[in-house]
Amino acid sequence: MRARTLPLALLLTSAILAGGLATLAWGELGVRLPDLAEAVRGEAGTKTVFVLERLRGPRLLVGIGAGLAFGLAGALFQTVTRNPLGSPDVIGLGAGAGAGVALATLFAPGLVPAPVGAVLGAGVAIGLVHLSTGLGFASPARVIITGIGVSAMATAATQYVVAVALRDSSTQLAGYLVGTLNSRSLGQAVLIGVILLVLAPLLALLAHDLRMMDLGDQLADALGARAVRTRTWAILLSVLLAAAGVAVAGPIAFVALSAPHIARRMVGSPGPHLVLSALVGALIMVLADFAVQHVGPVQDLPVGVITAGFGGVYLGYLLITAWKKADA
Amino acid sequence: MTRLPPWAALAAVTALLALACLASLVLGARETDLAGVWAVLRGGGEEHLRQVVAAREPRTVLGAAVGAALAASGVLIQGVTRNPLGEPGLLGVTSGASAAVVTATAFLGFSGGAATVWVALPGAALAVVVVHLLGRPAGTHSVVPLILAGAVVSAVLYAYIQAMILTRPEVFDSYRHWAVGSLAGASYGTLVAVAPALVLGVVLAAIAAPGLNTLALGDDVATSLGTPVALLRATSLLAATLLAAAATAAVGPIAFVGLAVPHLVRALVGGDHRWQLPVSLVLGAALLLGSDVLARVIARPQELMVGVVTAFLGAPFLLWAVRRGRVTT
Repeated sequence: MRARTLPLALLLTSAILAGGLATLAWGELGVRLPDLAEAVRGEAGTKTVFVLERLRGPRLLVGIGAGLAFGLAGALFQTVTRNPLGSPDVIGLGAGAGAGVALATLFAPGLVPAPVGAVLGAGVAIGLVHLSTGLGFASPARVIITGIGVSAMATAATQYVVAVALRDSSTQLAGYLVGTLNSRSLGQAVLIGVILLVLAPLLALLAHDLRMMDLGDQLADALGARAVRTRTWAILLSVLLAAAGVAVAGPIAFVALSAPHIARRMVGSPGPHLVLSALVGALIMVLADFAVQHVGPVQDLPVGVITAGFGGVYLGYLLITAWKKADA
Repeated sequence: MTRLPPWAALAAVTALLALACLASLVLGARETDLAGVWAVLRGGGEEHLRQVVAAREPRTVLGAAVGAALAASGVLIQGVTRNPLGEPGLLGVTSGASAAVVTATAFLGFSGGAATVWVALPGAALAVVVVHLLGRPAGTHSVVPLILAGAVVSAVLYAYIQAMILTRPEVFDSYRHWAVGSLAGASYGTLVAVAPALVLGVVLAAIAAPGLNTLALGDDVATSLGTPVALLRATSLLAATLLAAAATAAVGPIAFVGLAVPHLVRALVGGDHRWQLPVSLVLGAALLLGSDVLARVIARPQELMVGVVTAFLGAPFLLWAVRRGRVTT
C-alpha cells in the first residue's frame, strides 16, 4: 500500500506543475517557458513581469497553497471523525467566514477587508462550536451537531445581509462567498506558504497516531495513540488549515471534502493519506483556476463554483462506481 | 428529566399553537390590539383593521401548515435514516427547489410571486428522484449512499445556482429574496397550490409512523418482526419529500424547523413515533408561527424574514441541548 504512495505523489506533483505552467502560458498574455527562464534570470520584459507578479503568478500560488491546505484539512477531519462527509465546512467554518464577510460589509463597508472579516467569522464560528459542545473537540458527534447549528445561524445571517443589502454590494458579496482567486497578491501567497510550513512538522508528528484512528478509539488507545488527544489536535489543525485557505481564497466549497475521497480511491486503501490528499486538493484548485481563466463557458466565474460543480460530479461518479463494485 | 405523559404533551403544544395563532393575528409591524382584531373576526370592526387582519389570516394559516410540514418531514427522515441530523435539505429538496426557481427566472422570464410554487415543487421533486436513483445501490439497505447522493446533488445544484446568479444580476435580484425564506406576501392561493401535496404527505406519514418504531431497532430486527422494511422506507421518504417540497415551494427554504423540532419532541414524548408525529406537527406549526411573529415585531417598523429568525432561535437551542447532553448521538 505504501509502495503506491510515492509514485502517485510524483504523478500528482507533475500534474500540478503541468497545470500551473499551462495556466501561465495560455492565451494572449501567456508567459511561455522561455519567458519563464528569462524571468528566473531577471531578464524578463515588463509584460512578463506584470503577468507573473500581478496577474497570474499570485493566484496560481495562492490556489496551490489553498488547495494543499484544504486537502490536508479534509483528510484530517474525515479520519478523526470517521465521517465520509466530514470537512471543516460541516462544522461551520465556511459559513462562519461568509457571515463574517457579510456582516463586515453591512456594518463597516470599506473598513474591514474581506479576508479579515472571513477569518474573524470563521474564528467566532469555530469558537462557538468549541464552547457549545461542552467537551471541546473531543466528541466528533457533538462537534458535528453543534457545527450544523452554528452553520445554520451563520448562513441565515449571510442570507439576510444579501437580501437586504444593495444590489451592487450584494453581487460582489455573493462572488466572494463562493471563493475566488481573482486579484490575489504575492503577500497572500506568502501567507499561506508560511502557514503550511509552520504546520507541517506538527502534521508529521500527528501522522503516526492518526493512522491508528481508523481502528477505533479503544484499539487506538491500546496502541498508544491516545484517541481523544489525537482527535483534538487533528481537528484543531484541520480548522487552522481550512481557515488559512479561507483567508487567502474565500470559503471554497468541496475541495476539503472530495480531495481525501479521491486520494483514497487512487491508493485503493483506507487511511488518512495526508500528502496525497493535499496534492489532490492543490491539483483541483489549479485545474479549476485554469478553467475560469481560459475555458470559454465558465470564464470569469469564481473558482468556487467550478470546484463545487465538478467536485460534486466527480464524487458522485466515485460513489456510484464504488457501489457497483460492492454489488458485483 | 421527568417526562410528561404523551397526551399531556400534545395538549400543551396545542395550547402553544393556539397562542401562536392568536399572536400571529394580533401582533405585526402595524400595531393592533386584541379587542379590535376580535371585533374583525366576528365580522365587524374598523375598515383598516379588517385589511390588516385579512393580510394576516392567510399568513397565519400558511405559516402553521409550513411549520407542521417541515417538522413532520424531519421526524420521518430522522426515523428512516436513524440519523439525528436528518433534515429535508439532505434529500435535495431545498437545492432542487432553488435551482428550479433560478432556472425559471433566467430562461423563462419568471418573476416570482405565488406562481413560484409551480416552479419550485417539480424542481424539488426532480432533485429528490435523482438523489434516490443515485443513492439506491442494489443489495444494500444502508441509507448512507442516499445521504451521500443528496450531498452530491445539492453541491452540483448549488454550483449551478451560483454560476447563474453571478452571471445574471436580474436573476440574482429575485433569487436572493426568495432564498431567505419568508412568509410576507403569503396568500391562500399558495396554500391551495401546495395543499394536495401536504395532505397526501400527512396521510402517508400517519401510515408509516408506527412502523418506524420497529425500524429503530435495526433493519434485521424489524424484518424479523414482520415489518416490510423497504416499503416502509419508501413510504416515509415519499411523505417526507412531499411535505418538505411543498413547504419550501410555498415560502422558500426555512432552516432548522425540520431538524430541531423532532429533537424537542423526543425530549417531550420519547421515542414512540406514533406520538412523535402528531406532537411534531403541532409544535412545528407553533414554532414557525412564533418565529414569524417575532420576525414581524423585533425590528419594527421593518420585518425580518422568518427563515432568519428560525435559525437564530433554533440553533442556540440545539447548542444548549448538545451541551447538556440532551441530544443523543
